[in-house]
Amino acid sequence: MAALGGGYFKTSYEADLALVDTRLRRVALGALVVALLVLPRFASGFVLDLVSQAAFAAIGALALNVLTGLAGQISLGHAGFLAAGAFTTAALVERGLVSPLVTLPATALVGGVLGLVVGMPSLRLKGLYLALGTLAMHHVVLYAAGEMQARAGGNTGFTIPPPRLGGLVFRGTVAWYYALVVLAALVLLLVVNLQRSRAGRAWMAIRDRDVAAASVGIDVARYKLSAFVWSSVVTALAGALFAYHRGFVSVEAFGFFVAVEYIAMIIIGGLGSALGAVLGAAFVTLLPYVIDALVAGVSPDAAQYYVFPAKFGAFGLLMALFLLFEPLGLVGIWRRVRNWFALWPFRHRPLRASS
Amino acid sequence: MVLSVDEVTLEFAGLRALSGVSFAVEQGSLTALVGPNGAGKTSLLNCMGGFYTPTRGRVTFEGAAISELPPHRVAAAGVARIFQFVELFRHMTVLDNILLGRHRHMRAGVLAGSLFWGVSRREETRERRRAEEVIEFLELERSRKEPVASLPFGVQKLVGVGRALAMEPRLLLLDEPSTGMNREEKENLARFLLRIKHELGTTMLWIEHDMELVGDLAERVVVLDFGQKIAEGPPDTVLRDPRVAEAYLGRAWDAQKGAPS
Repeated sequence: MAALGGGYFKTSYEADLALVDTRLRRVALGALVVALLVLPRFASGFVLDLVSQAAFAAIGALALNVLTGLAGQISLGHAGFLAAGAFTTAALVERGLVSPLVTLPATALVGGVLGLVVGMPSLRLKGLYLALGTLAMHHVVLYAAGEMQARAGGNTGFTIPPPRLGGLVFRGTVAWYYALVVLAALVLLLVVNLQRSRAGRAWMAIRDRDVAAASVGIDVARYKLSAFVWSSVVTALAGALFAYHRGFVSVEAFGFFVAVEYIAMIIIGGLGSALGAVLGAAFVTLLPYVIDALVAGVSPDAAQYYVFPAKFGAFGLLMALFLLFEPLGLVGIWRRVRNWFALWPFRHRPLRASS
Repeated sequence: MVLSVDEVTLEFAGLRALSGVSFAVEQGSLTALVGPNGAGKTSLLNCMGGFYTPTRGRVTFEGAAISELPPHRVAAAGVARIFQFVELFRHMTVLDNILLGRHRHMRAGVLAGSLFWGVSRREETRERRRAEEVIEFLELERSRKEPVASLPFGVQKLVGVGRALAMEPRLLLLDEPSTGMNREEKENLARFLLRIKHELGTTMLWIEHDMELVGDLAERVVVLDFGQKIAEGPPDTVLRDPRVAEAYLGRAWDAQKGAPS
């Protein structure tokens, strides 16, 4: 490739496939990485915890985005997959198998099998019917988890000790901040890779037109199942992370509202876009805190009464507004802003833009 | 005979869409399948593409009974299909649509794709080169990275042709490729059909309503009416056949009036 050139023209297909293809993007990405690395030096524990929560949500949202945004299979069972992961870890820890080297593979296995089972109806059902099937799975998993919790002696949940590898104990806000941000970045990379390769393209083809996908030689049943399995393995692992991170697992943390939150993330972020899933996860994670601050600012006394209704209401309202006015989500807004700056001071795109 | 249709009958709960249709297609030939609306042309194509299974009879391609395979296995047997109503992957780019045509020539699975390592990375660059050949063949360079939904209908139809060609099929099934095309687009289409025949040597079975196109391009014509084959042969003789004219236009007024008496 051009050593002296500005890197503006691409001279190989390899370069056209690169994820970070221009100098500006390389610089921006580098700046973001440095900012995330040095953040713990400047930010308070509260801010770090917020970013950790957003990163955790991003992992779940990216996994759901693969299933719903790429493969087009609607799922209301995301909280169920998370719960399956968290409770598998809890069950193993309860039996003394505390090493993450045991719990994580076991959780991935349980997630994969559950994904395969829940994916089966997708071979026959589409749209709302499939959504109901996944909703049934959510209730089955939560029922099983509730039973398990009750048998453990009427506890309110399971306490999970911090993960430990050899003599190394993993705990503390900063350590979890780094772990979750790195893992979210890793999952983001996996998803972006899928989008530019054979399997991800096959999923998107099934989403767009399943009949035509079969006619180009895609085994639709197999790819639908593999989307479910991929998504459920990653989500179950996220559930295990949740268990270790919070140090406590209880059925109450995986209510149906959690599944709705994840759907909100990928819709608000921009369905089918990996960047959108991350933006949506950050947005939905931070929203309650913003509402808290707003309500407390308006009337500190009434805050405790109005915070919950305000949160639920804002949620529904925002989802409806995004669906109505910005179907491409946050990522659509981001693209518009970017194009505006790219073209500034001109206002319009040329009629035939070469993308 | 590379493709043979033997006594294909297709019934839907009492409705007989095809009854005992038989014909054969020669290697490398361009055969037109014509007939009025509802004659069963698309149903017959669906029997070949794995979407319908014939009630009786079978379709064999290169000795394999493709009428008993599911659609993705038919594709693997070397058969590609161009749909009547484009049926493209609308939210994806022209390039991605054509790369999807390369799906069966690629191997990387979900894991390799997630890591974009080894076989996945290698075959993405290799197949990109093949996709570019198809883009060049159909002169689609300008739209390479445009989402398909944003393109004019005529161009979308060409992308459908490109996706099928990228599969490197040995048999190409075309379902009314010229519908919705203007004169100029039809001329382009004719040029591409002839190039596919002469440069790639692909066998083609082609449903078409434009009899001028059929008359000029097809080597053989098969005519269906009410699920039955009513004529077969070279276009000059078949298109002059009174039974074919009757199937399309109905009986002449005088003859009809005279008939009962």
